[in-house]
Amino acid sequence: MKEMVDGWTGKRLRVNLSNDAVTVEEIEESYRKKWLGGRGFNSELLYREVGPDIDPLGPDNRLIFGVGPLTGTFAPSSGRTTVTAKSPLGGGFGDSNMGGHWGPELKFAGYDQLVIQGRSSKPVYLWIDDDRVEIRDASCIWGRTVPEADAMIKEELGTEEVHIALIGPAGESVVRYACILNDVYRAAARSGMGAVMGSKNLKAVAVRGTKPVQIARPQEFYRICADIRERLKRDLMCQKLYDQGTWLLTMPANYEQGWFCWQNFQKGNHPDAKKLSGEAHRDHFLSHREGCFACSISCGRFSRISEGKYEGEITGGPEYETLTAIGPRIGLLDMDKVVHNNKLVNELGLDSCSCGGAISWAMECWQRGLLTKEDTDGLVLEWGDQELIDKLIRMIARREGFGDLLAEGSSRAAAILGRGHDYSISVKGHDMSQDDPRGLGFAFGIGFATGRRGGDHLQGLPCLELTGAFYPGLVEKILGTKQAEDRLSTIKKPEMERYQEDLKAIGDSLTQCSFTHSWSFAVQPEDMAMLLSSATGQDFTAEELLRTGGRIVHLERAYWNRLLVGRLEDRSPKRFTEEPMPDGPNKGTVFPEAELIPRYYDVRGWDRETGFPLPEVLRDHGLEDIVDDLEKCRAQYLEKMEKAKNSA
Amino acid sequence: MACSLFHEGACSPVLSRMRIIKYEALGKSYPSVCSQCSKPKCMTACSRGAIKMDAPTRVAFIDQSSCTGCRSCLEACPHVGFDPDKGAAFKCDLCGGSPQCVRFCPSGALVFSTVDDQLMARRRALADMAILSASG
Repeated sequence: MKEMVDGWTGKRLRVNLSNDAVTVEEIEESYRKKWLGGRGFNSELLYREVGPDIDPLGPDNRLIFGVGPLTGTFAPSSGRTTVTAKSPLGGGFGDSNMGGHWGPELKFAGYDQLVIQGRSSKPVYLWIDDDRVEIRDASCIWGRTVPEADAMIKEELGTEEVHIALIGPAGESVVRYACILNDVYRAAARSGMGAVMGSKNLKAVAVRGTKPVQIARPQEFYRICADIRERLKRDLMCQKLYDQGTWLLTMPANYEQGWFCWQNFQKGNHPDAKKLSGEAHRDHFLSHREGCFACSISCGRFSRISEGKYEGEITGGPEYETLTAIGPRIGLLDMDKVVHNNKLVNELGLDSCSCGGAISWAMECWQRGLLTKEDTDGLVLEWGDQELIDKLIRMIARREGFGDLLAEGSSRAAAILGRGHDYSISVKGHDMSQDDPRGLGFAFGIGFATGRRGGDHLQGLPCLELTGAFYPGLVEKILGTKQAEDRLSTIKKPEMERYQEDLKAIGDSLTQCSFTHSWSFAVQPEDMAMLLSSATGQDFTAEELLRTGGRIVHLERAYWNRLLVGRLEDRSPKRFTEEPMPDGPNKGTVFPEAELIPRYYDVRGWDRETGFPLPEVLRDHGLEDIVDDLEKCRAQYLEKMEKAKNSA
Repeated sequence: MACSLFHEGACSPVLSRMRIIKYEALGKSYPSVCSQCSKPKCMTACSRGAIKMDAPTRVAFIDQSSCTGCRSCLEACPHVGFDPDKGAAFKCDLCGGSPQCVRFCPSGALVFSTVDDQLMARRRALADMAILSASG
């Protein structure tokens, strides 16, 4: 007899660390169809169980790991996991997505979702061995770095055949942007999920699963997977990713498109950026490539430093966002230093983007005389000082001295000090990834300003404006005009962002890596519908899936709205809207936020005044349950807007 | 996953004929799979005659209807797998001549070739060193 349903497992594992209660709940068929899995399941549960008054670092917050109906299957690049919680960084919706092999293992253990709530009185880790779930003492492991803890847990469990998601010292110290890593180097980095885990005194979740994922129509599923894999193999974007990883972005970002993040976005290019090119990494630093579960792209890198101070160091990564965050964003262009810093942030369990964001904020404040030695424990914050950067990363991870302030994130740090707000390049308290809309593109810019977790390129990953032109006819087919291929045009950009947000919500829910459908466009929504239909035996259409994607986006938006966050907070950093790009190919460009955000609201069906989803749009997406709730919040938000207007 | 889907209609590393040994901290993986021995120890260990040699291809295969689930073959060789639901052993049969693992290996790490092809490739590499390096 089949223990699992086709595609999904139909089971949610819930662990309450306050009273050690472990329960398994059924996930009903209608719910599975409505929310798909992964991010969809997680966002729905967060909305329902973690209300506006719950402290992100308190026991009532939920730390949710979700996988989808395609996770653990032969579907290409399907081994991803979404981690969701109320974010201690932005104070609102938080989630992060990780590759590796942990998610498929959770699925093989028999669960679509793991919900952790409560708080343990002492450090513990969770051991999920199929149906057997144990909460084990982690006192000896507490304080250890990620690779040390991974090895110690395997030794204690007496097996290497286990996948472990864990936090480093940064998560234990509740650094607000601590990350969770699995398989040592695969991070769920953004929005402080590791801080939530640390606040629960939970060091790790080790999983071993032996159950098969059942496929409703195996031969059909096999044929669809084989066909997509063949397409991915021939796809130029995927071939480039295999060759250079995401490092391939350095050269076009700097020399052609002018969005290379230099010194906290003060410039969009640097004459020596080629030192961090994909070719330079591949030829001198690449140890080998490492793919995630069931992935045929293998963008993952392992790097080896072969000379200099850090000679002999080996590390997973870095990828583009990390290499720029702890490289050019803080004034560094030497690859050995960047690779070393990557190793350091991973081992300590920090989100590289926010870590780079906090350090670059401090360095720019120093540059402008807003920070002095009195604020920094005597440290001199010069751009690109590697000795200082190494020290600061370690101080942040353990909240030592000046590192304690930076561990709050740039936005809170500015608020605590009462200065330097304009140099916190963040949205809703969440530091920007290293992507400048003044060059990268205006659909991206909409995502940065309105993002579900704050400033981040993964809101929609609207690569139709970045790589879409490599797919003849694609942009025109989806948006009705080829002009939308132009990165810095405003034509159809709200529509593009909406389409890609909905698409990404599906991918994150099924789960399927964005590189297959929103960087490469080899996988189309129709393919996702066919994969899902053949895996589950229930028929889905592309149109229906995109609608589900929209449902997820609206609900995540409603999560913020319920916290009285809307139009006023959908603001890009002033640097992007008020400071024209100083030089390079996009000299003079600003992000036209005032034009694009209202148009985006119209396209999304959100009220122009408040940025709240309109009641009829919610009903249309099957969200009638939250209409009344949200209308009350809208009234309160209007009062908040009125007050803000009066005080201005 | 190609393997278990092809053979069992389900996706499961446990049901896969090939297992991947992973070294996460090093980012390295090692494929562990049947060597297709000429005189398979698994076959010798089977007291029920459930493991047979396919005469034309000389690939050993397991007749699951004759397998009693005694697991002697697993003792003899770690490359045999065991399906707990069926209570029967399984092993790589090279998918009848088109191994799925090779077909879908994205990196070219897995290759399907004859022993002679492999040997000749290595011999040619040695010869290259002698001939091509000597001729500059």
